[in-house]
Amino acid sequence: MQIFLPIADVPVDLFVLLILGASVGFLSGVFGIGGGFLMTPLLIFLGIPAAVAVATEANQIAASSFSGVLAHLKRRAVDFKMGNILVVGGLLGSAVGVEIFRIIKSYGQIELFVSLCYILFLGSIGTLMFLESLSTIQRARKPHNILKHRKKHNWVHGLPFKTKFKSSKLYISAIPPVIIGFFIGILASIMGVGGGFILIPAMIYILGMPTKVVIGTSLYQIMFITAFTTFMHATQNKTVDLLLALILIVGGVLGAQLGARVTVKLKAEEIRILLAIIVLLVCLKLALDLIMMPSELFSITYSGQS
Amino acid sequence: MRKIIATLIFSFFLSTFCLGSVISDIDRSDIELSTRFDGTSLLVFGAISPGDDRASLLIEVVGPLTSVDIRKKVQLWGIWVNKNIAQFRGIPSFYQISISNPEHPVLKEIEYQKLKSIFHDYLETNSILENENSAEQYHNELARLKKKLGNLSMFEEKINVIDNKLFSYKVNLPKKIYPGVYKIKMTLIDQEGIELSNSEQNVNVSKVGLQKFLSSNSKNSPVFYGLFSVIIALFLGFSAAQLFRWLYR
Repeated sequence: MQIFLPIADVPVDLFVLLILGASVGFLSGVFGIGGGFLMTPLLIFLGIPAAVAVATEANQIAASSFSGVLAHLKRRAVDFKMGNILVVGGLLGSAVGVEIFRIIKSYGQIELFVSLCYILFLGSIGTLMFLESLSTIQRARKPHNILKHRKKHNWVHGLPFKTKFKSSKLYISAIPPVIIGFFIGILASIMGVGGGFILIPAMIYILGMPTKVVIGTSLYQIMFITAFTTFMHATQNKTVDLLLALILIVGGVLGAQLGARVTVKLKAEEIRILLAIIVLLVCLKLALDLIMMPSELFSITYSGQS
Repeated sequence: MRKIIATLIFSFFLSTFCLGSVISDIDRSDIELSTRFDGTSLLVFGAISPGDDRASLLIEVVGPLTSVDIRKKVQLWGIWVNKNIAQFRGIPSFYQISISNPEHPVLKEIEYQKLKSIFHDYLETNSILENENSAEQYHNELARLKKKLGNLSMFEEKINVIDNKLFSYKVNLPKKIYPGVYKIKMTLIDQEGIELSNSEQNVNVSKVGLQKFLSSNSKNSPVFYGLFSVIIALFLGFSAAQLFRWLYR
C-alpha cells in the first residue's frame, strides 16, 4: 500500500517500511544493538532524503530507548548520576551537531556528508569488530592463552572535579563523562544513531563502569539525547517525518520483541562476526554509491514554493 | 455526472450562438492530498464555436510556481559530488499543453514561445557558465527530468473533439504534486497562432488530514511539532514496554 510521507515528500510502500522496521528491530533484539546505524542508511537506500532519515531515526530511537530504559529501571541497573552528567555533555553535543548539520545542509551537501560519516564509522567499527571476534575465536582454541586484564586505574583517574558515582562504585572526574556525552550527542545529531556502539565501550574501557549498569545507563542517556536531537532537528532543519517515525516505531517494537525471544544457537563471537559482516556490507554499498559513476548525472530539487 | 451533462447541453446551445468562442468546465474543482494520494486525473470539457473550421484549441495546465535547483554530479577526488549549477526561479511545478490539431502550421513556434516564457526566462546560473554546460543544456535537462517525473508534457496528450464543437480532455496528475491552484487555460487560436478566445478554470489542490496537520505544523510551528514528535515517541515507547510486560507476565 502506497503512502505519501508528508515531510520526506516521497511516496513509499507502507509494508516495505513496516518490514524494514521489523527486520532492523529483530536484528537489534538478537544482537542487543540499537539499530540506528543500520536503519538510517537503509532509509537512504529507499530514497528518503538523508536529512529526513537522520532526524526521523533520532525520533524512533527516542521511543525504543525509552521502552528499554523502563525495563532496566525495574532492575535498578541505571546509574542516574553518571547518566545525568553524560546527558549534560550530550545536549551540548547535540546542539553543536544540529548546527553543523544545518550549515552543511544549506550548502546542499548533506547527503554526501552523512554518507561519508557512515562509511568512516561503519568501516572502522565493522573492521574492528570483525578482527576482534576472529582473535577471540582463535584464542578460545588455544586455552592456555591468558586473557589481558582491564586496568583498574588509567589517565581518567588523574583529572580534577572528582565525584562519587554510587551505583557504579566509582570515584572519578566528571570531565570524561561530559566529553564522552558530548561526542555521542554529535554522533546522534549528524548520523541519526543512539551511539551505543561507541558509548558502551567508552563506559567500560574509559570510565571503568561495571557491566551491569552500563546498558541501562547508556539507554538513559540515549533517550534524552535522541529526544533533544529530534526537537532540535524539527526546529532547525524541519526534517522530522513523524509519520515515517510512527511506522518505524511500530515495526521496530514488534521486531525487537521477536528478536529478543529467539534463541540464537550461536556463540557471542559468532554473533559479533555476523553483525560485523552486516555492518561492512552496508558500508560497502554506501561507498560504492559514491564511487560508481551515477546513471543520472543531473538532478532537480525543488527548493521551495514561491 | 448530471453537472457534466447539463454543462454539455448548455454549452452546445451556447456554441451555436457565439462565434469564435470557447466555454468550459471541469468535473472537480478540489483535489485533496491525503497520505494515501496516489496520483489522480480530472476531466476538462466544454464547447468551441470556431468562426472558421481551421481554428485550433490549446489547453494548458499550469501548476503552482516553485523554484528548482539543477544539480550535476561531478567527480571530486574519486567520489561523485553534487554541484548546484543553476536555478529556475518561479516556474510551474506542473505544466502540460495540448492542441486539438497536432498538424497546426505554427506548432513548433508555439512550443518554443511557451517554453521560453514559462521556463527559460527564469534561469539563473550560479557561476560563469562553463564551456561544457550552456544554458541550452540546462533547459534540456530540466525538460527531460520534469518529463520523467510526469511534471511536464508538451503536446503528448490528446484533446477529444466531437463534431468540431464539443471537446473533452483528461489531465493525469502524478503521485507527487504541489498543493496550490492549478490553472487550466483553454485558448482558441487561428492558423497563425493568434488568439481568438479563451476560458480559464481553477482547480484547488490542498493537503488534508494527517498530511496537512504534519506538514503545516512542521513548517509553521516547528516548536510545537518538535515537542509533539518527542511526546508521541516517548508515549509509544512507554506503551510498548507496558504492553509486552503485560503480555509476558
